[in-house]
Amino acid sequence: MPSKQDNKLKLLWLQGVTCNGNTHSFLNLQNIEQLLNKFEILYIPAFSTNYTIDKIVKCSLDCDILIFEGAYDPFMKRAGVNLKELLFHYMKDSKQIIALGSCASFGGVFKESAPDRITGLLFNENTLTTTFLDYKDKIINLSGCPIHPEWLAYVLNMLLKNINIELDDLYRPIELYSTLAHHGCTRNEYFEWKIDAKKFGLKEGCLFYKQGCRAPMTHSSCNKILWNDESSKTRVGTPCFGCTEPDFPRDNLFQTKTNMSIPQDIPVGVPKRSYLTMAGIAKTFHIKRLEGKLIDYKTDS
Amino acid sequence: MITKQILENIEGEASVHFKIKDGLVDFSTISFPHFRGIETILEGKNILDALVITPRVCGICGHAHLMATTRAIEDAYKNMGVDFSLSDKSKKIREFTLIMETIQNHFKWLYMVMMPEIAKLTTNEIPYKPLKGAFASSIASKAIAVFGGQWPHSSYMIPGGITCDPTNIDIIKAQSYVEELIEFFQKESLGIELEKFLSMQTCKEFNELDSDISILERALISADMQNKGFAYDRFLIMGEHNFTKASKVNHTRVFSVDSKYISVVNSYSPREITYAKNALYKDDYYETGSLARMMSISFPMVRNIHRRYKDSAYSRVMARVFEIGYLLNHSLKLLDNISISEDSIISLPDVKNLTSTGIGIVEAPRGPLIHKVEVEQGIIKNYTIITPTQFNIGSSTPTKLTPVQLSMKATTQKEALFIFRTFDVCSVCTTH
Amino acid sequence: MARISKEERKNSIISASLQLFSERGFYITTIPDIASKVGMSVGNFYNYFTSKDILAKELLLYIADYLGQEIKKINESNLTTEEKIYEIVSMYFNLAQKKPEMIEYFLRVYLSNREVFKDGCEGMVCVSSFVTEMMIFFDDGVSNGDLHSQDFFSAFGLFMGYLGGMVFLFGEKILPEPLENYKSSISLNIYNALKTR
Repeated sequence: MPSKQDNKLKLLWLQGVTCNGNTHSFLNLQNIEQLLNKFEILYIPAFSTNYTIDKIVKCSLDCDILIFEGAYDPFMKRAGVNLKELLFHYMKDSKQIIALGSCASFGGVFKESAPDRITGLLFNENTLTTTFLDYKDKIINLSGCPIHPEWLAYVLNMLLKNINIELDDLYRPIELYSTLAHHGCTRNEYFEWKIDAKKFGLKEGCLFYKQGCRAPMTHSSCNKILWNDESSKTRVGTPCFGCTEPDFPRDNLFQTKTNMSIPQDIPVGVPKRSYLTMAGIAKTFHIKRLEGKLIDYKTDS
Repeated sequence: MITKQILENIEGEASVHFKIKDGLVDFSTISFPHFRGIETILEGKNILDALVITPRVCGICGHAHLMATTRAIEDAYKNMGVDFSLSDKSKKIREFTLIMETIQNHFKWLYMVMMPEIAKLTTNEIPYKPLKGAFASSIASKAIAVFGGQWPHSSYMIPGGITCDPTNIDIIKAQSYVEELIEFFQKESLGIELEKFLSMQTCKEFNELDSDISILERALISADMQNKGFAYDRFLIMGEHNFTKASKVNHTRVFSVDSKYISVVNSYSPREITYAKNALYKDDYYETGSLARMMSISFPMVRNIHRRYKDSAYSRVMARVFEIGYLLNHSLKLLDNISISEDSIISLPDVKNLTSTGIGIVEAPRGPLIHKVEVEQGIIKNYTIITPTQFNIGSSTPTKLTPVQLSMKATTQKEALFIFRTFDVCSVCTTH
Repeated sequence: MARISKEERKNSIISASLQLFSERGFYITTIPDIASKVGMSVGNFYNYFTSKDILAKELLLYIADYLGQEIKKINESNLTTEEKIYEIVSMYFNLAQKKPEMIEYFLRVYLSNREVFKDGCEGMVCVSSFVTEMMIFFDDGVSNGDLHSQDFFSAFGLFMGYLGGMVFLFGEKILPEPLENYKSSISLNIYNALKTR
C-alpha cells in the first residue's frame, strides 16, 4: 500500500542568477512548516532537504512542481551542470513550473548585467522567449522583487487543491495581479485630491506626483496583502518602484517623469484626458485637513 | 590528494578544493562560481537608484547594503562641502532595523546551518528544526517592516534620513516584536532569562541548561571545536555604530582603524574560476563578524570564552549566540527614547548637483560592508562593493592564508567544512 | 412659425449676453437688457438662468468647451507639433475676429471679475475642458521629443498670454497689420520658445 508520502506532490526549487531574496521572503511565511509538510521536498537551497545539489544535478529524479528563482542565464551552471540541461530535465515531467520573482519572470535586476543573454524563464521583459516555449502552458509567473510569501503560498495551495489558476497576459495569477499596488494605499485620499508629498519622510501627501511612485501603474496586491503582515513601501513613505512589472528596474526610481509638470504615466486604463480633467479640478480645491500635518506633537515624547 | 566539495545552504554556492595530507587538510582554496555584476549595472544610473539596486545584492543582508549606499551618498555630500547632521530619530531607527536584520540572519544561521552541520560531527542527538530559525527571523522582519515597509528589499533609508514618519503606535509595535523575539529566544533557544544569559560568567553555566543553545554548546565541545578552527586572533570592525566599536583587535588589544587601509587583491583559485576577491586591512587578513564585534566592546562572557578558547570555531559560534542576546537588549534601548516629533529627513541639495566621491561602511551580520561611490552630476561613474565574506573567506596562496584557510588547516575535511560555516558564508554578497 | 426649442433659446441668450457684456461691460448690463435683446420676458429669462452670476459661469463653460473641442480636434490630428501650434494660433485668432465677444468675455470679464467666479468656478474648474486640452498638447509634444519639459504654467503662460496680448492689441486697433498676418510669425515664436534644445 502506498504511504502518504508517496501521494505528496514532489517539489524542487532551483536557482538561476539570484540574490536569494525570494527564498528569504518565503521563509517569512508564518505557517511555512505546515505548508511544506504537504509536499515531498526534494530540494530547497536554503536548508538541507532530502537530496543534495550533487544528486539533483544528476537528473535522475523528477518533480511535480518546479520552482525556479532568479534570472535565466544560458551560460550558467549549477554544481558543474548546465542550468539549461537541468531545467529541461525537470520541466519535462513537471505538472507546474513557477517562475519565482521578477528575475525569473521577466529578467529583472540581473538581466541588466548581460541584457543580450540573460532573460526570465519564459519572458524577456514583456516578450515571450523561445528556449522553454514548449512548456509555456505549465509556467506561472510570480513577479515581484521579491515575491510576497503569501503569493507563493497561494499558488502552492491552489496546486494542492487542484484548482485552476487563472492567469493574465503575462502569465501571472489574476487573483494576485488584477489589482494595483495603489489599491489600499493609506495615502489614497492625497491622491484623490492631488496633494503631493512635500518631501520624503512625511505621513502626509501622495508620492505619485514627485517622488516617483509607480503604484497606480503596477499590478500587485502589496497594499492588500501587507508585507510581513505589517506594512508596505508606500505606507512608510517609500515610492512603489513597480517591481512586479516587466520593465523593472526602470531608471530614476525616486522621481516622477513629467512632461511640462504633467505625469507621463497615469493610472492603468485611465484616459489621459479624463485624468487631467479630474486632476485639474481636484487640484483647485483646498482641503485644509489634508494640507496640514495630520498630527502636531505639542510636546516631545 | 585533492578533493572538491560544493557547499550548499549558504547564501548561494561556493566550492572548497582541499589538498589532503595524512588525512588532514594541508591547504585549501575557495571559489565562488557565480557572478552577477551589480557594480556594472549601477554605472550610468542615477545615484539614488542605487538605494533600490544594492539591497538586491543579497536576500539575507540587503538592508545592510541599503545603509551602506545611504551612508556612501551622505559621505559624498559631505565631501562636497554640504554640512548636515541626521536627526537622532532617523539614526536610531536606521540602527534598529539594521540590528533586526542581523538578528534575522543569526537565527537562520543558528537553526538552518549550525545545528544541522554540528550534527555531522557528533554522536550527540541534535534536533533538526531549520524552520524554527525562519520563524524567529520572520518576527525580526516584521519589526523592520514597521519602519521599512517590508523585508527583504526595503529602500526606506535615503540620504538625509528615512522615508517613514512613525507614530508612537509604530514604536510600540516594534517594541512588542522585540519582546516577542526575546520571549522566543528565552523559551526556545536559551532556556533561561535573557538577562541571566547576558550576565553569565563562565561556560560551566551552560551545563545547567537544557535548551537548543546548550545542545549546541555541548556538541561543539564533543566535536572538539574549542581546540579547532583558529584563525589569526585578530579582528576588524569598520562600521560606525553604537552597538560596536570600529577598531582592530589584536588578541584583546583594541586599536583605531581607518578605511584608507582597506585593500582588495585577486583570489588564488587555480582549480576553478572564481569571481571573488580577497579583502585586507594594512595588507593583512583579519577576521570579521560577531566575534570581532563582541571582542571590540569587551563583552564579558565572550572575553572569557576567548581567554580560554581563543578564536576557535567554538568561540566564533558562541560569540554569535551572545550577540543575538546583546543586540536584542540593545534594540529595546534604541526604541526607548525616540523623539517622535523630530524630522525624519534633512533635505539635501538636489542630487543633480552632486559631483563627489563617498564611502559608506556598515557592520553587516558578517562584518564590514563597504560601498564606494563616484558620482558626477548625480550619475554613478563608479561603484565598488567590498563585503565581509571577502575578509573572512578569501582564497590565497599557502604563504599568506586567509582566516578561513588558516582555520581549516590541519583539521579533517569533515571538520573543515563545519569550520568554514562558522564564519557564515555569503556567496551572493561576495560575488556581487 | 416653428416652435423654438429650449436649447436654441438658451443659445440665443448666451449669444446676446456675450455681445452685451463685451459692448457695455459686465456690471452695466442688466437681465432686462439681455431679455429684451433676445425678445423674451424677464420672467421667462429666469427659467433659463436663475441669476446673472450663474449666467456668467455658464458662459465661461460654454467658451472653454468650445475652445477645448477645437484644440482637441487639433490634438487628435496627424499634424506635427509645429503645425499644431500654428493651428491653435490660427483657431484662436479666427475666433477673435469672427466672434470677438467670446474672446473678449474670456479676457475681460472672466480674468478681471474673479469675484463673480469665486463660488463654483474656483481655479480652473470652469475652464478645465480648455486647460486639459492644452495639457494634452504639451504632454504629447514633450513625449514625442518636440518640446522641452518645463513647468506647465511657464509654457501655458507663454502660449496663452502671448495670444491674449495680441488679441488685446487687435481689439484696441493698435495692430498695423490684419491679425491674419501675424499667425505665422507668432506660431514660429511660440515653437522656438518651447521646442527641444
